[in-house]
Amino acid sequence: MPSRLHDSAPWRTCPDCDAPYRRHLLRPREKLVCRRCGVRLSSYQGGVSLQAILALAFTGLLLLLMANTSPIMTFDVAGRIQSNLVITGVQGLVQQGYGVLALLVFFCSILAPALYLLLLIYALVPLVLGMSWPGLGFSGRLILFLAPWNLVPVFIVACGIAVVRLELMGRVVWQSGALYALLLSVCCLVLGRIFPRERVEILLEEAR
Amino acid sequence: MKSPDHIRRGRAWALILTGAILYAPANLVPVMTMTIPGHHDKLTVWGGVVELYEVGLWPASVVVFLASICVPLFKLISIGLLLIMDGSPHYCLERTKVFRVIETIGTWSMVDIFLLSVLVAVGQMKLLASIEAQPGAIFFAGVLMCTIFATHNYDVRMIWRNSTR
Repeated sequence: MPSRLHDSAPWRTCPDCDAPYRRHLLRPREKLVCRRCGVRLSSYQGGVSLQAILALAFTGLLLLLMANTSPIMTFDVAGRIQSNLVITGVQGLVQQGYGVLALLVFFCSILAPALYLLLLIYALVPLVLGMSWPGLGFSGRLILFLAPWNLVPVFIVACGIAVVRLELMGRVVWQSGALYALLLSVCCLVLGRIFPRERVEILLEEAR
Repeated sequence: MKSPDHIRRGRAWALILTGAILYAPANLVPVMTMTIPGHHDKLTVWGGVVELYEVGLWPASVVVFLASICVPLFKLISIGLLLIMDGSPHYCLERTKVFRVIETIGTWSMVDIFLLSVLVAVGQMKLLASIEAQPGAIFFAGVLMCTIFATHNYDVRMIWRNSTR
């Protein structure tokens, strides 16, 4: 049986090609695709509640805190041991006179993920509770802006490469911060995957 | 409020040309120096790839090669082509797909900058081992920022404005 057209839904435009479309009531495994440019406009989200996404965002925030306060790895050369936090790299770059690079690393690995998760929580809490808060529209736009700058998964890949490179010079041992950062990466990737962008946009429009 | 198309197009052109100019020094100027007793290495992005490959760490070498050399080059060429084809009614679907690929893989080039920050963080052991950032990293970051903001300024809907579909 084909999906039913949501008769009362207003016309919307495809974000990639401006083709008009109307929302459909989707069934499991169904997705709404733009007939003109092929972009996925929305997919069935019945199995994922806003509460679940909110819980995941809180988990992400907690993991971010732990990943930033626990050492990522220890590096041992001839008995001299050095460990690092995420912020240590930022400090090191500042000390070597590369403040611009430090700012970039700080923004993409600490600030953007923190703001992304905080704003997600700020936008989802009133939606879950069925109330309205000021600045929801702005926070929604900021979430969409910050999402591609949340580069914790890329940071973890870089840590993996750093370890294989440092092992040429000494002994490297992973520490708990790496595990938290890895879990945070998974959390952010899942959030990006299940985040019901269209549904939240509609709820934010209604809340305003 | 979004800027008009011609302003966004102009900004994207300026950024992509700047990125193309910076691409050469980003790959020729060393991004870091690694010093251990009896050994002092000035590494460019390409040098880092070769070094990893030569010591048998080819999976890491492939990741750095793809993220740091291929992705920025692919982005510079692709966005350039999208801008050149701007206003054309042809290949709209293909151009949209290329743009989506650029958006998806775009920030993975940050691997090298993060790698540098992690190495700098633990490689501060004076005579035993020392890792320092070099000006090449600034050029490399410049290329990344230019391509990221060029993508941001290129509105994918411009592809479809003159389409007949």
